[in-house]
Amino acid sequence: MAAKLYKQRYLYLMLAPAVIAVLIFHYIPLAGWTMAFKRYQVGLSIWDVPWVGWDNFKMFFVQSKDYIYLLRNTLSMNLMSIVINLSFGLILAILFNEIRIRFFLKTIQTVSFFPFFISYVITYSIANSFLAQNSGILNQLLVKWGILSQGLNILGDGKYAWFLVVALEAWKSIGYISIIFLASISAIPTDQYEAADIDGASRIQKIWNITIPNLMPTLIVILILNSGWVLNSNFELYFMFTNPTNWERMEVLDMYIYKFGLKQLDYSYATAVGIIKTVVSILLVFSVNALSKKFTERSIF
Amino acid sequence: MYKPSLGDRLFDILNTLIMLLLFVVMVFPFLHLINYSLSDATKVSGKFLLLPRSPTFESYITMFKNPNLLHSIYISIARSVLGTALMIFITSMAGYVISRDDLIGIRLFRRFFVLTLYYSVGLIPSYLLVQKLGLTNTFWVYIVPGAVSVFNMILFKTYVESLPKELEEAALIDGASDLYLFFRIIFPLSTPVVAAISLFSAIGQWNAFIDTQYYNAMNPDLFPLSYVLYIALQSINSIEQFQMDKEAMHFVTPESLKMAMTVITVFPIMVVYPFLQKYFMKGMLIGSIKG
Repeated sequence: MAAKLYKQRYLYLMLAPAVIAVLIFHYIPLAGWTMAFKRYQVGLSIWDVPWVGWDNFKMFFVQSKDYIYLLRNTLSMNLMSIVINLSFGLILAILFNEIRIRFFLKTIQTVSFFPFFISYVITYSIANSFLAQNSGILNQLLVKWGILSQGLNILGDGKYAWFLVVALEAWKSIGYISIIFLASISAIPTDQYEAADIDGASRIQKIWNITIPNLMPTLIVILILNSGWVLNSNFELYFMFTNPTNWERMEVLDMYIYKFGLKQLDYSYATAVGIIKTVVSILLVFSVNALSKKFTERSIF
Repeated sequence: MYKPSLGDRLFDILNTLIMLLLFVVMVFPFLHLINYSLSDATKVSGKFLLLPRSPTFESYITMFKNPNLLHSIYISIARSVLGTALMIFITSMAGYVISRDDLIGIRLFRRFFVLTLYYSVGLIPSYLLVQKLGLTNTFWVYIVPGAVSVFNMILFKTYVESLPKELEEAALIDGASDLYLFFRIIFPLSTPVVAAISLFSAIGQWNAFIDTQYYNAMNPDLFPLSYVLYIALQSINSIEQFQMDKEAMHFVTPESLKMAMTVITVFPIMVVYPFLQKYFMKGMLIGSIKG
């Protein structure tokens, strides 16, 4: 044993930096979770402030009632995004697969995948130049053509918030998602299609009876993986697009944690909300996984 | 032999139309930004641009006259290069080691890493840790917290496991040390996965701005390009910020400056992307098989 340990000394040496980094950045901060059970005050050490039990959690669920609008916003936008992105990504992959001209396919794939790689600052800049109430092209054109007398405040009015977020997420990610589905399409055995050809199936029939059923396993895996994300939002998107006039429909859990934690310096409360979010997310993944195992016999664990 | 039916032909036409629409939706926003930033800004307000109007580089000249912009480009490049290099170094070594089934304690180490994928520590505990480590207001905050990526480690491990086992065995029988084996044999053979991970990481670093907002918002010397763009987008009248000279005012508006700056930020990605796309796809496919 000791001899083997010595023989493997280089392996441990190679592993050490990663172990130390993960320990420091993923495990040690868990000790910070204790702060959720204290009443932190700026200037005092975490150890010197009093324990308050579940007060911070009660504050969120009982006193503030903020969870009502936060959960409404977070869940609505995330669920709509998941449904839209996955169904569009799936349809897109099927349509890509039916393109016969290689060059056309390559071009369109390259182009549709690109927005995935730009930051939300750029996305915001683009959205701003197209949708801003006065200077955005869309509104200027609508006013010029006499369709509207005044520009729509798409970026600032809560009325449009959910639509805006879902549309932006779709624009950024359907190209990316379609490639995952396209990869599973290419794994479908070709003899299934050949058999269908012999039976005289049309293209629509082949898509419906072969391609789509074969994509279901991939869809389920992605759904399970995404289920853990329904409380996690794309923070950078909301950071850029939430503003004082649309926050009621736009603010999500992650923004709320940021607002209370880093802006109002209520570390204890923000940590408590963060813990609730993490715990519920883990429970969701495991329950969706278990349900999927039961009903479809597919799971990721 | 294959004779397309009427239905199939209709399908093709419809499909092509949808693809063209997709093409326009994905490309036009960028095209418009570029054209606007290259136009005489006083003439183009509220117009869809397929080509620049009265082309001029005035917006770009104004931008590049600003020394802060050049410094922020330098910061962005530094964090992209250093951050990616360090991440690859630490992550690939560990990824290789956890692929070795003969390592004593391997199951424990694998659990230790994988467990972190299931929970997130949360904003505030992470923030306080970074503060305690003295990383706030330093360049290192861009590099150190991301030095190890468990997700990429698993991608690397999966790739190494797909390499023929005989290779390692042969080298070990020949008396190669584990260090030699990794640096001379495994790592060079892993170019596809290393390329894919590096590209994702470098682009992530280039795009990052939120860590600056958290940790370095007080220190303009450490602003990367993305963050400078964020600030420019926030201020209604960014003219003062870019120290514009009066002459340029004829061709340039705050709007066109913002667009020029957006183009400068997205330009490096736009240029390298078409050449590197196959690596992205490869990396994603390795990832999706795993996930």
